[in-house]
Amino acid sequence: MAEKRDVLLPDIGDFEEVDVAEVLVSPGQQVEAEQSLIVLESDKASMEIPAPFAGTVVEVLVGVGDQISQGARIAVFEVEEAAEAGEPERAEAAKPEATPEPVRAREPEPSARDVAPAEPAATDTEPAATDTEPAAEPGRPSGAVLPHASPSVRRLARELGANLELVPGTGRKGRITQEDVRGYVKAMLQKGLSAGVPIAGVSVAPAPQQADYAKFGPTEIEPLHRIRKLSAANLHRSWVTVPHVTQHDEADITDLDAFRRETKAEAEARGTKLTFLPFVIKAVTSALAEFPHFNASLDHTGESLILKRYYHVGVAVDTDNGLVVPVVRDADRKGIFDLADELGSLSEKARSRKLRPSDLQGGSFSISSLGGLGGTFFTPIVNHPEVAILGVGRMSWQPVHRDGDFEPRLVLPLSLSYDHRVIDGADAARFTTRLGQLLSDLRRLIL
Amino acid sequence: MADERADVMVLGGGPGGYTAAFRAADLGLRVALVERYPVLGGVCLNVGCIPSKALLHVAGVMAEVEGLAEHGVRFGSPEIDFAALRAHKDAVVGKLTGGLAKLAKQRGVEVVTGEGRLVSANRVEVETADGPRGVDFGSAILAAGSRNVALPNLPDDPRVLDSTRALEVDGAVGRLLVIGGGIIGLEMAAVYDALGSEVTVVELLPQLMTGTDPDLVRPLQRRIAKRYAAIHLETKVSEVRAADDGLHVRFEGAKAPAEGVFDRVLVAVGRRPNGDRIGAEAAGLRVDERGFVPVDAELRTNLTNVHAIGDLCGGPLLAHKAMHEGKTAAEVIAGEPAAFDPRGIPSVAYTDPEVAWVGLSETEARERGVAFDKAVFPWAASGRALGSGRSEGQTKLLFDVESRRLLGAGIVGLHAGELIGELALALELGADAADIALTIHPHPTLSETVGIAAEVAAGTVTDLMNKQ
Repeated sequence: MAEKRDVLLPDIGDFEEVDVAEVLVSPGQQVEAEQSLIVLESDKASMEIPAPFAGTVVEVLVGVGDQISQGARIAVFEVEEAAEAGEPERAEAAKPEATPEPVRAREPEPSARDVAPAEPAATDTEPAATDTEPAAEPGRPSGAVLPHASPSVRRLARELGANLELVPGTGRKGRITQEDVRGYVKAMLQKGLSAGVPIAGVSVAPAPQQADYAKFGPTEIEPLHRIRKLSAANLHRSWVTVPHVTQHDEADITDLDAFRRETKAEAEARGTKLTFLPFVIKAVTSALAEFPHFNASLDHTGESLILKRYYHVGVAVDTDNGLVVPVVRDADRKGIFDLADELGSLSEKARSRKLRPSDLQGGSFSISSLGGLGGTFFTPIVNHPEVAILGVGRMSWQPVHRDGDFEPRLVLPLSLSYDHRVIDGADAARFTTRLGQLLSDLRRLIL
Repeated sequence: MADERADVMVLGGGPGGYTAAFRAADLGLRVALVERYPVLGGVCLNVGCIPSKALLHVAGVMAEVEGLAEHGVRFGSPEIDFAALRAHKDAVVGKLTGGLAKLAKQRGVEVVTGEGRLVSANRVEVETADGPRGVDFGSAILAAGSRNVALPNLPDDPRVLDSTRALEVDGAVGRLLVIGGGIIGLEMAAVYDALGSEVTVVELLPQLMTGTDPDLVRPLQRRIAKRYAAIHLETKVSEVRAADDGLHVRFEGAKAPAEGVFDRVLVAVGRRPNGDRIGAEAAGLRVDERGFVPVDAELRTNLTNVHAIGDLCGGPLLAHKAMHEGKTAAEVIAGEPAAFDPRGIPSVAYTDPEVAWVGLSETEARERGVAFDKAVFPWAASGRALGSGRSEGQTKLLFDVESRRLLGAGIVGLHAGELIGELALALELGADAADIALTIHPHPTLSETVGIAAEVAAGTVTDLMNKQ
């Protein structure tokens, strides 16, 4: 689908009635976003006006010598429906646009590309030369996730073995100072001495110097992706600070499966791919409402529990670069189809690395589903500061004894890991039992 | 000659290599520095950054003088003594490389002159003028750099130049074709333009300086489009034929011009790492298919006692990056808690106007879907730029939408390369828009544009109208 769209003169600063000095495009021409359309010349400066979006020029509405001001129509473009109108001035970018060009070498200094027929190692289409893995390269800031610490503080943290992700900053705007790093390490050491109490971020005794594995055979070094390093720090903290117990249970989802199949066509008609996961989320929010301690966090003093009156469910997504957990907000207020659509778009964003920090924040409970891959029960690690996480295994047909006979029933393995400081085994058993009931008989969801 | 035994063997005496060697020596290690040429300094000092900047300085002054005509001051057309110009450039290079030799000596760094190749993970063999000589080492820092990419199918003709030859400036050149519209090609184009050549630039990709934000390149392109004979984008050189009256060049591509004749052709299509020339296989060193040696944040290769730095280990091919990596590698070997973890590596194109950037670029932010706030201060509103008669520049800052911290910066305009240093510091220290806006910049200067751009982001600007 193509649609016609006007190209207007954006805010060009404090200028009115500026002369058009050059027109750089003509009707029929294909224009990329950011390509120059016209050149304006005032007595003070000349400026090129770039196309705010890509398209085909249908009509050019200005000519050399015309005087135009902000808002004037410059041209009419025919654009493909998917094209997003970029804002020319204030770019709050990060819109999931269809990537304009596939791969583009991005090398600030001379790159190995050729102009004429090339020698094999350096052709202009050489895929290896365009293989940029931005997050893994040094010198590329990736946004607010980096700790707010100057190079000397980063060096000190390396020296003392402190993970800056865990060090609270007391400087202006949360900046981490040298004293913060020293104080953090000191506190960790002191707390470590008073044994028994699990401490946030405490690290185990440092391993002896790295073994020289090369003595035993060839080895190679694979750098960890930033996402994996971040999740490693979080998982380690959860593992060390949260006393974990995992409760296993099974849910009979024979009827749920039948219902899902019945509604599948309806779902497909609206472009929705309907898996089990939205049903599990729905049942979980209902169970959470009944058992509010599972939808809570321990406050930092350990004196009280913070009960959350919202149900934001994090869903672990496996990406090429590691695990991320985008959050479905207010899952209790969303229908099955909406949940399915949102899950689809979140995992797509996760895989194409388009998640915003806000997509990853605010979860009150998490689900890790390995059902698509296989396996039955496992022990997921609680996503601290949440207090429970549900692991979902692969469903299978099992002989189930019902009414004096064995019947084939579709059974879903569930594994609930929880923070034993907050939740007791009896509550966990009640929770998984209730969850099993809800999944077995969806009608209970509306009771 | 007797074999050498060193704690650290540094292969390559360019900016990365000599920095690594000197730092390691200062940390108490016994260092051997293997360099194939009799002078230290590598490409950068001898046939790269330094000599080109000596020439670009001359070119810049000439352009400024020419610009004065618009303000009522006219000089005659310049007379160029190429021999004296070359001597000036060579004197600058000689001074710096001589200084390096002295510093090496003072530190007790053993310089071994000759081409070195690894023969194991603990030994390098060097072809010296007096025959082969081995150096056994505990640790190594490989800093073997990169070389110009040559184009196949070009005639073997003294009129076909690479960047090294082009720096010789051995006389007036009438018509010059520069193949490759990257930084090196455009810098050399600027030199030859000033020296009176009629310059044509041909670039395979749709943009000059590919990868750089288009809005930063645009003012440069506008200026040189007026000065140069032609700039052909998306055009490929399909044939260069040597004849007595010049080099006949044929072009290919949708916008390709007709065949042209040139007095010189400069090939500046990029550089490739020397990973294929250091005996990697014998040592068991991993080199990727492009010739780069992959390393971790401690610049460690797959061999635990061998580090690689600079052009050899990938990333931007820049001397200042190599120098910092050299220090890091030396410190890691000495047991210090060092790592190469910069928030940004500044890049500068010493063109006229200059283009400089650091950290996240707008292009990259869009490709990666990073949310950012952009603030631009156009130099048309800078009194200092107007006074210089050059108001085409702009200062652009990108901030994180939530923390408001600086993510990256790009500047185009006079002295952009000098201005970017402040933003590299701001980036490393995690400065946000308010920090930069509240830092008092001297008025009227070009550095002020950094402060005002931050005011645009902070919404406190008074030199422009604030955005609603």
